[in-house]
Amino acid sequence: MNRENSGYTIIYASVMVIIVALGLAFTHQVLSDRQTANVNIDKMQQILRSLNIDAKPAEAEEKYNDLVKNAYLINIEGVKVEGTEGTSPFDPAFTAELSDENAEGLPVYEAEIDGAVRYIIPMSGAGLWGPIWGYLSVEADGSTVYGSEFGHAGETPGLGAEIVSPAFRNQFKGRELLKSGVFMSIAVVKPGQSVAGRDYVDGISGGTITSKGVDHMLLTSVGKYKSFLMNLNAAN
Amino acid sequence: MDAINLIVRSIFVDNMIFAYFLGMCSFLAVSKNVKTALGLGIAVTFVLVITLPLNYLLENYVLKAGALVWLGEEFADVDLSVFSLLIFIAVIASFTQLVEMIIERFSPALYNSLGIFLPLIAVNCAILGGSLFMQQREFANLGLATSYAFGSGIGWLLAIVGMAAIREKLEYSNVPKALKGLGITFIITALMAIGFMSFSGINI
Amino acid sequence: MALSSKTKTVLLGPLNKNNPIIVQVLGICSALAVTSKLEPAIVMAIAVTIVTAFGNVIISLLRKTIPNRIRIIVQLVVVAALVTIVSEVLKAFAYDVNKQLSVFVGLIVTNCILMGRLEAFALGNGPWPSFLDGIGNGLGYGWILVVVGFFRELLGSGTLYGYHVIPQSFYNAGYENNGLMMLAPMAILLVACIIWIHRSKNKELQEETN
Repeated sequence: MNRENSGYTIIYASVMVIIVALGLAFTHQVLSDRQTANVNIDKMQQILRSLNIDAKPAEAEEKYNDLVKNAYLINIEGVKVEGTEGTSPFDPAFTAELSDENAEGLPVYEAEIDGAVRYIIPMSGAGLWGPIWGYLSVEADGSTVYGSEFGHAGETPGLGAEIVSPAFRNQFKGRELLKSGVFMSIAVVKPGQSVAGRDYVDGISGGTITSKGVDHMLLTSVGKYKSFLMNLNAAN
Repeated sequence: MDAINLIVRSIFVDNMIFAYFLGMCSFLAVSKNVKTALGLGIAVTFVLVITLPLNYLLENYVLKAGALVWLGEEFADVDLSVFSLLIFIAVIASFTQLVEMIIERFSPALYNSLGIFLPLIAVNCAILGGSLFMQQREFANLGLATSYAFGSGIGWLLAIVGMAAIREKLEYSNVPKALKGLGITFIITALMAIGFMSFSGINI
Repeated sequence: MALSSKTKTVLLGPLNKNNPIIVQVLGICSALAVTSKLEPAIVMAIAVTIVTAFGNVIISLLRKTIPNRIRIIVQLVVVAALVTIVSEVLKAFAYDVNKQLSVFVGLIVTNCILMGRLEAFALGNGPWPSFLDGIGNGLGYGWILVVVGFFRELLGSGTLYGYHVIPQSFYNAGYENNGLMMLAPMAILLVACIIWIHRSKNKELQEETN
């Protein structure tokens, strides 16, 4: 069989492509359950980090189930949507995508730490290069931040990517989202500047656009929960 | 405005060479002469500007989870992303072959001076890197993806031409024997990279 | 099992005189980007070693059947398939590290070391020597990554493999982590230092011109 023959070349190429395609599809099938489990565990780790708990992947699921007592969807007026309660990775709150316009509602998680209830709110926005997201955990008064967690897809390492660092996140502890019962959000400003009428934290030096992205995310994405937070505040 | 911002940023702040060190192999080998460096830079930019948007379309309409939904609702669950690497590199390799044939036809001098580095554009990390970053960053539309490709290519071109200009002058310097060639080129690249970091505050 | 002299050259050459990064000048891209911490550097080194070794074996086994016209494409397909498998396995068993490595796992496909060894060795040698060549080059690449990753993580974050190494008392006395180490240019400078030391010891590798 002549190696340089056109027919041979075409058959060779086709057989190779088929074998490779089958091999890859098979590998993906076999591994996809584990991969989905890993994605879920990663999300649980993020939620735990917003509660100031750094859990390793192996212990994340257990800790999550231990602390997160409830999860559900709320509508834009802040009222719980019937039938959406459940804390497993298959329930509406865990699987909800914030960017989905046709979603039934917005996810909220409730955790109980040392007897006190904290509410965890997911948020998503845009950084310099791609999406940014995070979780904010709030005290029962619907205003004081207990902890925060941020994530990004492709921000510049050492600059915008620093939003995931404990130094940036710790600034949010104790800051208030509401002033006099009204949702004001927390501003992210250039280090050294200040804002009147609302709480603020320092942005990242050299990561101006990513910091602005976080600021905008806190205003609009967390802003969707303002009725929910103001209701909590009024009740407490 | 978004597109201009993106272009400026990919040239200076997120420069393929100085921020991510992608495409270093051909960068180090072809940066001895400004004319050849310019030729390679233009070729790389050209390949980037065509393959990245093509891969963007493939990623969004064929490969990613749920992308095939335009064929019909029943395809909403299909996730072909496991084939992305293969498809991306196939697109890049095919297009490089095309560019090689065009250059051989229209500029045999450039073809000869680039030598082996022309087909090596296919495995230039910067080109595949561009497509992989595009996949990660989820650009809003084709125009932005193309601007990103253009900016990245120009950034790479700027880096290699700058390096070639410096190395041409470096012929007259007294570099320690153990650092001659590769070593001093690395140090210069590092210094240029630190210099480029000063652009990180750009905001248009 | 005594190693023949040829086997020794194939396996040990890349660790010193024929090192892929500092002598052959291949595989530099990923060497610099993933070394800000030690753990991703080690995982990347292992991934590249596996892909190079098995890629070499597969191409070596197929070498007498590959049509010359599509030689490069066949190599690319084999490498892309292997890298995709490694990526899928990482996503299933080492999700954290996969997140840190992000696009650089995919970039193993264009890692010049792979294509370089396939062209230069696997196409002309049997499967077992090709396998050893792959392992040798992977290890040669790996030790450079580990050294750079070691210094960058130690000086840049005060940790090694995630464990705090620099005692708190140093920080209290005024020691600060070197932030510049976390940024990419330092990786290149560290490799330049390694080259300097390496070529001072191996004078035959020194170049004539700048």
